[in-house]
Amino acid sequence: MTEQDDRPVAASETLLRLEGIAKTFPNGTVALRSIDLTVERGRVHGLLGANGAGKSTLIKIISGAIPPSGGDMIWKGRPTRWQSPRAANDGGVATIHQHIPLVPDLSVIENVFLGAHGVWRRDPSAHRRFDALCARVGYQIDPDSRLGDLSIGARQMVAILQALGTGADLIIMDEPTASLATDERELVYAVVRRLSQVEHKAILFVSHFLDEIVTLTDCVTVIRDGTQVMHAETDDIDEDRIAKAIVGKEVAALTRLQPASVDMDGNVDVHAKPVLELRDLCSPGRLAPVSLRIAAGEVIGIAGLLGSGRSELLHAVFGADAAATGEVLVNGRRIGRGTAAAVRAGIALVPEDRMQQGLVPGFEIWRNTTLPALRGVSRGTFMPDANRERMRGWNAVQRLSIKAASPDALVTELSGGNAQKVTIAKWLFSDVRVFLLDEPTAGIDIGAKTDILRLVRQLAADGNAVIIVSSEFEELLAVATRLIVMRDGRCVAEHPAGNVSEHELLLLAGGRDTAAAGVAAHSHRHAAGTTGQ
Amino acid sequence: MVEHDAVAVPGATRPEVRAQEHGTGKAAGSWTRPTANWARAFSLREMGVYYALILLIDILALVTLHLGHPNYFSILNITNVMYQASLTAIMAVAMTVILISGNFDLSVASVAALAAAVLTGYADQIGFMPAALLAMTIACLAGLLNGSIVQLLGINAFIVTLGTLTAIRGIVLIFTDGHSLSVQNPGVLDAMAAFESGRVNVVLPLVVIGLALLASAVWSIRQARAAGDAAVTPRSVGAIVAALCVLAVVIATRGVVPIPKPVLYMLGFTALIWFTLTYTIVGRRLYAVGGNPEAARLSGINVVRYKLLAFVLSSGAAGFAGILFASRLHSINPAGLQGAELTVIAAAILGGTALYGGAGSVIKTLAGALLLYSLTNGFNILNLGANYQGLIEGIVVVTAAAIYTVGGQRKTA
Repeated sequence: MTEQDDRPVAASETLLRLEGIAKTFPNGTVALRSIDLTVERGRVHGLLGANGAGKSTLIKIISGAIPPSGGDMIWKGRPTRWQSPRAANDGGVATIHQHIPLVPDLSVIENVFLGAHGVWRRDPSAHRRFDALCARVGYQIDPDSRLGDLSIGARQMVAILQALGTGADLIIMDEPTASLATDERELVYAVVRRLSQVEHKAILFVSHFLDEIVTLTDCVTVIRDGTQVMHAETDDIDEDRIAKAIVGKEVAALTRLQPASVDMDGNVDVHAKPVLELRDLCSPGRLAPVSLRIAAGEVIGIAGLLGSGRSELLHAVFGADAAATGEVLVNGRRIGRGTAAAVRAGIALVPEDRMQQGLVPGFEIWRNTTLPALRGVSRGTFMPDANRERMRGWNAVQRLSIKAASPDALVTELSGGNAQKVTIAKWLFSDVRVFLLDEPTAGIDIGAKTDILRLVRQLAADGNAVIIVSSEFEELLAVATRLIVMRDGRCVAEHPAGNVSEHELLLLAGGRDTAAAGVAAHSHRHAAGTTGQ
Repeated sequence: MVEHDAVAVPGATRPEVRAQEHGTGKAAGSWTRPTANWARAFSLREMGVYYALILLIDILALVTLHLGHPNYFSILNITNVMYQASLTAIMAVAMTVILISGNFDLSVASVAALAAAVLTGYADQIGFMPAALLAMTIACLAGLLNGSIVQLLGINAFIVTLGTLTAIRGIVLIFTDGHSLSVQNPGVLDAMAAFESGRVNVVLPLVVIGLALLASAVWSIRQARAAGDAAVTPRSVGAIVAALCVLAVVIATRGVVPIPKPVLYMLGFTALIWFTLTYTIVGRRLYAVGGNPEAARLSGINVVRYKLLAFVLSSGAAGFAGILFASRLHSINPAGLQGAELTVIAAAILGGTALYGGAGSVIKTLAGALLLYSLTNGFNILNLGANYQGLIEGIVVVTAAAIYTVGGQRKTA
């Protein structure tokens, strides 16, 4: 390991050292083979790996949620084995989980001091301590507002405050930015920098976003199949090398997907009868009237930040928004409201939150896969045939390279990317003509991401109409034939894919004027660093 | 909407491939089917209610033998327990459906009492069948009301049905003016007797069912062997055991198996619901609606309709139970069936039905109801008196719930 750090690290004191940590679950699954990891004070340590590589298991071990089955954990120079998450917390390890476990009905301040000892609900010193915390991270929030009323970004900040409130030395952040919009991410980055540089905390930062890993971290560890495959100083590497280490082979990176317009322009006849047509589709308070014609083979990319009305648009098209008005036509035929009518007409929706909206947790892969199109695997018209259903489930597993031993695996046992593939597979076995994909690549590893984007291209090439929403604008540029920018519930711009850059999309979606363009664009992806300094 | 297995994605397995995969079993690209998990299939969680029922009946049989009472295993005694359980079991089966759909119904006993009151109140004037139809209609409307308030206004089912539990009982009191109603008309009494009393010899259907079970087990074993899978699965073993039991009953009774009519209704209703839940699209969608309503809705399922259907089924079953109840007694006391909803829910819980939706089996619920009434029956046989009954039943329900919860946690760490 080279020590060519140019960041102001005061003392690179080792806080946590893992030696040969292994974990085998009672059912025989080997999650971790042997992990060596050294976390130092004052440094941001990036932890990467594909879905199912063992990141979550490693974090659970460090934070005391599960015991390791082998290896040593040395915490502040002393061999340690946490008995419980509480013990780890008291010892100085705070974890910010991906799904923020906060209480929506309590106030911000009550959530921040949720784990505090004491008897009284109202503690006069709490407000003082809260203000001190806010000052430390440089973030202000009303302590008495109800948590459930806050945006996801603000909740993430509350979770960070909660972690800091325990006085932790090591803060583990498990994909803290996965569901955040750009400006909210910047806030998290600023706090992370401040904590590591000013307060000399150690941060273990888990993320799927390679760009933020490169700009934010000091060193990077990549794990694959339960083994550490790379450890390097961030300055010595680039996104490409990290991506290779994660996947373990030459990545079919996103950039390899040629912009769609190159090979699509010739095929798409925009004057042809549209597959999907929207006429003044709107939803009070959520979506301003939208009219749109989408031809066979077109992929419409919706660029918009969280809360821009992008999901609301898809839900309105799918009939899932009861308040929506206006007309939706598929192949020129007007369809009724309601999701059942939409599915009958051949519209498919892959929702944003795969576990909450996309999958039935008690069902296996096969029963989830066949749910929207049971008739096709039924005897007569009403009796599903389990053998045919399993066969369809197995087809889905093979076609989308879902990592599962059999279609009998429960969807709750799958990793994020594989679960996402099941939510897409549901729609591949019936006469679907219109695919509505809401953030289909959120929180999944780069291999699965590429698979899904390829599938999107293929669906369009087969004559379907596709609308895809993504926070990753470079993905949209890679797959879409046309881009629509949304902001505050309305479509603010429309461009053919070849005519617009990621940078312009960001400016349009973020609603900044062109004067600030240079600075804003600069600060977004590659120079998040400017904010913290 | 036309559906097909082939999909226009490159590398797709074409339907023709399916035959090959199926025929050769372990052809390249086929998955290895998980070998049947025997430990899980026969675990307390999966089979606990059956074990408990068998254990209890055996204990009661031994004790009665020891005390010199008449044979516990006599067809008369067994069918008597089933007869006592029938009303509760019919409501509990429907309760299982509503629990699977992710809702809850506390009002069943009140609805049953209302149906009984309507029947007894009107049968003398308009005859048995019209009055029974009227009672069923009113019961179904009560379910529609419950479901509409829950689904369309979005109020928690527990609260809504707690309210209708009280309100519908209030309607019964108003309707009966606080007095017992009874049927006088001899024609109606005859019709009630024909509907509710008397026994039917079911030896022929039993033989048919036993042979069908055997045949299906043999067929599935042969199928599995042809496909190269593990030949004997827990399911086929269960079918064979059930078939042998049925045929043993036929032999032991020398072909005379008189079953009370309410027991027939109970068995028929359970079989119908079991078939619907297990083998039809409606059943699959109902489990999906309970398991994750939002995912079900976004898969094109009309969630509100399925949840309403479950409410109507629950109240309809309660109405039918009320008609049986009134036909049995030829009268209705305004406080009749009070508190029965708790026994109904207890039976569903004993059967392992999840209170949060998406899981449950009506056959196990039936076993749960039989378990509760076998306990009652046991108290009578042993002359233990009713004082201990509540305590023991409560312990049984909580123990069952504990076994399901603790045994249900899949080992993840």
